[in-house]
Amino acid sequence: MRALVVDDSAVMRKVLIGALARANIVDVDQASDGVEAVAATKQQDYQLVLMDWNMPNMLGIDAVREIRAQGKTMPIVMVTTEAEKSRVIDALKAGASNYIIKPFEPATIVTKIQELLAKTGAT
Amino acid sequence: MVSINAGGVFVKVEYINPFIESTFELFRTMLSASIKRGNVGLAQSDAAGPRDIVALIGLSGQAQGMVALAFPVSTALGIANRLLGTELRVMDDTVSDAIAEMVNIVAGGAKARFKIENGPPIELSLPTVVRGNSFSLDYPIKTTWIEVAFESDLGPFAMRVTMKIEAKKGN
Repeated sequence: MRALVVDDSAVMRKVLIGALARANIVDVDQASDGVEAVAATKQQDYQLVLMDWNMPNMLGIDAVREIRAQGKTMPIVMVTTEAEKSRVIDALKAGASNYIIKPFEPATIVTKIQELLAKTGAT
Repeated sequence: MVSINAGGVFVKVEYINPFIESTFELFRTMLSASIKRGNVGLAQSDAAGPRDIVALIGLSGQAQGMVALAFPVSTALGIANRLLGTELRVMDDTVSDAIAEMVNIVAGGAKARFKIENGPPIELSLPTVVRGNSFSLDYPIKTTWIEVAFESDLGPFAMRVTMKIEAKKGN
């Protein structure tokens, strides 16, 4: 399994990569904004994407729309501080598969990732 | 209306409490750290107190303002090390990045707690970090900045907030 972690914070990318490792996902690429994320998904097939919302150059939600427009169907999990219900609905409409609100307990995010992958049969 | 008397200026608690609650949640979840709120008062320009590294983020829309988290070096290092499981001993870009993410999470959590019905979501700016001790923080004269002191097992820090919430047009 290959995953893509998208966040403009290098520290948050490290935290998420650590969480993925605890879910036995160690083949991970990184992108620091939506533009890089869209470019990465054009070049590589990922089985999971973790996507921040507020980033320079291109917002995460716009990147989700562009990735779905490519016909990609991998699970995309928004991992963001945007906690309002309207934001969650917008993300799901754009094509996000799940939504994790920062702050999170590391164990919680591992469980959510494992549950999502089990549900989508991507494990 | 419940308000806090901050140096003679009364500030609505619903403007400040979301930031305090969000800070507690951040420390409890991502940092597994205990935290206690200290004094609440008016922030003074160039105030004494922890401010070796300051992270700021703006809010716009129906709620407009700014929140700043100010840390001494030891607390900032403690946060970065707790978050990453590292043993960093000097301030570097990684520590700044960690502190920027802290203020981003605090502001994001706070804006979701504001009791604003039916309006568009409040927008966050990208965070900014100021590092070093040769700067002064000046607050524009027409803004009221409230300072909240915190103690945590990662060290002391302060939060400063200036905020106004616009009444929804047509109501």
